[in-house]
Amino acid sequence: MKRLYSITSIGITGFCKIHRSLLCLKIRRNTWLAGILLLLAGLSQAHAQQAKDIARRSYDVISLESMEMKATLSIYDSKNHVRTRNISNVTKTFDGVIKTKLTCLAPPDVAGTTMLIFDYPDKDDDMWIYLPSLRSTRRIVSREKKSSFMGSEFSHADMSKPNLDDYTYSLLGSKDIDGKDCWMVEAVCKSGAVTEANGFNRKLAYIDKKSGLAYRMDYYKADHVWTKTMILKDYRKVSGESNFACYMEMQNR
Amino acid sequence: MKHDLFIVRHRKWFIALPVVMAVLMLLPLMKAHINPDLMDYLPEDMVSKVNLDRLEAVFGKYDPVLVLFSGEDVLRAGTLERMRLLNQTFRQSDKIDQVISLFELKNIRSEAGSMVVDPVVQSIPNTVSGREILRQSVRTNPLVYKLLVSKDFKHCLMLLNPAPKVPDKELVLFIRHVLKQYPGPEQVLVSGQPTLRYEIQRIAMRDLMILMPLGLIIMLLTLFLSFREQKGVLLPFSVVCMSIAVAMGLMPLLGFDFSLIAVLVPVLMIAIANNYGVHLITRYQELNAVHPRWGMKRIVNESVRKLYTPIILTALTTIVGVLGLLSHLLIPPRQMGIVTAAGILFALLTSLTFIPAVMSGVPKGQTSIHFGEKPTGWMGHFLAWTGRVSTGKPWMVILVFTLLVAGAGAGLSKLQVAINLEEMMPASSDLRQTMGLLNDHFGGTKSISVLFTGDIKSPRVLKEIDSFEKRAAQLPEVSNVTSLATVIHTISRSMNNPGMPGYDRIPEERQAIAQYLELYTMGGDPEDLERLVDFDYTNSVATVQFKAENFSSFKQTESGIRTIAATLPSCRLIAGQSLVEETLSAAIIKGQISSLLFALGSIIFLLWLIFRSFKAGLIGAIPLAVSLVANFGLMGWIGLRLDIATSLLSSIAIGLGVDYTIHLFWRINHELQHGKDWEDAIAYTLRSTGRGIAVNAFSVMAGFAVLLFSGLTILKAFGYLIIFSLLLCLLCALVLIPAILQLNRPSFLLKSTKAQL
Repeated sequence: MKRLYSITSIGITGFCKIHRSLLCLKIRRNTWLAGILLLLAGLSQAHAQQAKDIARRSYDVISLESMEMKATLSIYDSKNHVRTRNISNVTKTFDGVIKTKLTCLAPPDVAGTTMLIFDYPDKDDDMWIYLPSLRSTRRIVSREKKSSFMGSEFSHADMSKPNLDDYTYSLLGSKDIDGKDCWMVEAVCKSGAVTEANGFNRKLAYIDKKSGLAYRMDYYKADHVWTKTMILKDYRKVSGESNFACYMEMQNR
Repeated sequence: MKHDLFIVRHRKWFIALPVVMAVLMLLPLMKAHINPDLMDYLPEDMVSKVNLDRLEAVFGKYDPVLVLFSGEDVLRAGTLERMRLLNQTFRQSDKIDQVISLFELKNIRSEAGSMVVDPVVQSIPNTVSGREILRQSVRTNPLVYKLLVSKDFKHCLMLLNPAPKVPDKELVLFIRHVLKQYPGPEQVLVSGQPTLRYEIQRIAMRDLMILMPLGLIIMLLTLFLSFREQKGVLLPFSVVCMSIAVAMGLMPLLGFDFSLIAVLVPVLMIAIANNYGVHLITRYQELNAVHPRWGMKRIVNESVRKLYTPIILTALTTIVGVLGLLSHLLIPPRQMGIVTAAGILFALLTSLTFIPAVMSGVPKGQTSIHFGEKPTGWMGHFLAWTGRVSTGKPWMVILVFTLLVAGAGAGLSKLQVAINLEEMMPASSDLRQTMGLLNDHFGGTKSISVLFTGDIKSPRVLKEIDSFEKRAAQLPEVSNVTSLATVIHTISRSMNNPGMPGYDRIPEERQAIAQYLELYTMGGDPEDLERLVDFDYTNSVATVQFKAENFSSFKQTESGIRTIAATLPSCRLIAGQSLVEETLSAAIIKGQISSLLFALGSIIFLLWLIFRSFKAGLIGAIPLAVSLVANFGLMGWIGLRLDIATSLLSSIAIGLGVDYTIHLFWRINHELQHGKDWEDAIAYTLRSTGRGIAVNAFSVMAGFAVLLFSGLTILKAFGYLIIFSLLLCLLCALVLIPAILQLNRPSFLLKSTKAQL
């Protein structure tokens, strides 16, 4: 089992949409109360649209133009051995391109190792890595979004912005998560290519009805085979209205 | 009658008790369970098993199913598409933890100043030029070429590591079901340890269901052809059935799992348990023919009184022979020795109590044999012939047998031990075919892992691993060595340009190594590293893949690896499935020798005790020695290898074969005591007791003949060999031993023995 343990401190400037695998919640006012005849297809279509709207709201409720933070990434194995990385992360959007610089601060043997990522909306990311021991930079070409983020159970897909239109949404009901009344929104990959790219087939998000913040996400392979769960806590308001989860934990089987 | 045996007087008890006991012993069979895991057959303190457990404690159990695709060119679009769909389906399953295939492994390379990290097959090429680009890319990937794809690109492997606690049957059936969903022109073979275990269990269960009833039918037929009388068929048959129930029921009662050689237990009971009853029936028919006015009770009394000593002695020698298996290193042969000995003991007691008890209460049958001076029937003529030859031309007989033994025995030098567990499966099975293809196209099926401990990121330790990899790769028969050093070299080639100081080298600084590994976790897949180094970088394993045609070739490569490892201080242990199989092979040899020596020594001692003569032991051991030398020599000539089943041969053959000689000695002694000369005593013995010996031998051989229908090659081979052994023991008892006695005229046969015939 590996977990992302904590994000210790955040420094944020400006506002921008931040790319995270959090579903955003949008409040939709019920307008169909006056309706008398309910067709099943119409009802499910309405539910699907409602589910997508909840997802969109959850997506939109995190909106940071740029960000600077320090985080601690702790990875645990099944015997509870831990590997810890202190990282600093600076992100800003330039003309629609999200640029991120990730630097390892500790432990000493990897301190100074830095990744620079240009996340384009319409093509594959560009990545460069700097290794202090070589004193040189190398461009990395890797199209594998589902691959692990820094050796953890988070994938690059988890850490980048999902495309809402890649999924089919359903509202499965409600559930209490840590005292919060949450929508259960199911998102199923529309195609095999999306499944392959993300490393999962289906995602179940638990989104707070009031705030639109996601507190938990369960990931599944085909045939409802559970693979991992992300838990999000310690949301803090930053830069006015935007929220940010200062604790993210990913548990695998 | 006051001279009636105790058994006859209380016959009802002696009929009811064995039946009740046999029925009760069927109950524990409800919780019987076949254990096909060959690792469980080994003692816990075995060094190679302990080392493998230590390795698995660090890196987890690695027990994949291998799916092997074969076709004209595995890089064809259709083939790759099929593999891609299968890869996707297997990845999505909860039964499979990890898929290793062309679509999962990474190709890390330097390209135009960039480090490119892609799956080996990023997209399926539809053109010839695209396919050739992919082919070249595979050739330059040391983690794929000749490991996952064969040198000629006609074969490709996919490895499926199962999720924890998924039963073998469920896993294998699921994989086969998925393969059917994506058909194609390629040949697909499924193998690996989970498949081997599943197949062993399936075949062993099927054998148990088929061989036992078949053996009983053959036995019934043999008894009918021999005796042509209802009681001659049903009474020994009843004893056999009850003995099977007792021997098999004893296994779960004693906490023994049914191993794959447990299939032999009912077959042994069918072969052995009717031996004692057969002699009683033979004696009954002989007395009925010679004394037609005798009543049944008198015949029974006479038969038991005359035969109980040799029957007990023959049972004792068989039990001693079978108990020779207790000296075996492996657990299942030891367990088999115990339950078979118990079953034989039960058969002995039942034959001497149940059969006389039943016979004393039923009417006599019509005489079906004629005991005159002229031989009748083919058996009568054959036995008369043996009498003429052994007494008329004894030197010729000894010469012929000597030449036979010398000729067969020359094959002993060619005898080899099986080193592949897959050899127990039929040649047409996926497992055997895969083994052949892996040996021919992938550099071999054997692998040995070497564990290094310490600070794995330190240049000193990593250079030791690198040095081991380079030196081990030079050993003959070694096709591949994979270690963390391979990965570091790959990264250094992609991070440095050719000609730069760091290109394709282990860095001199710990920091550089740490950052290379960090880079790999950022850009590659950390799961790829999990089989090479542990989580906190204190243990790393290098795996050597090689071919080994036979035991000595294996030992040679193993010795080379150990020699190299001994020069490297960070090397902590050497382990692997192949080493466990090698220990198994060595145990087979040791077990064979120890059980043979124990059984032979015990038999010679027993014969010495019975006849008060060491010469009796030596002469009695001659048929056993002849049959064993000829048997193992024949195995050497025809290329049959010693394996877990054939290693049981010597104990069982000795235990069974000596019976014929004991009966022979006993009867000859009786005839000499009654005034016959040597020639007449031998001839008469062969015509009378010889018939019982022959019926006994043929019914035993018929019992073992069912093994020829087994689905496991090793059991089939065991069947052929034991029949051959017993045939030789029979010929020795009927021809060679009488010839030796005619020439030697040993004094121990002139002495009076306690019981008289």
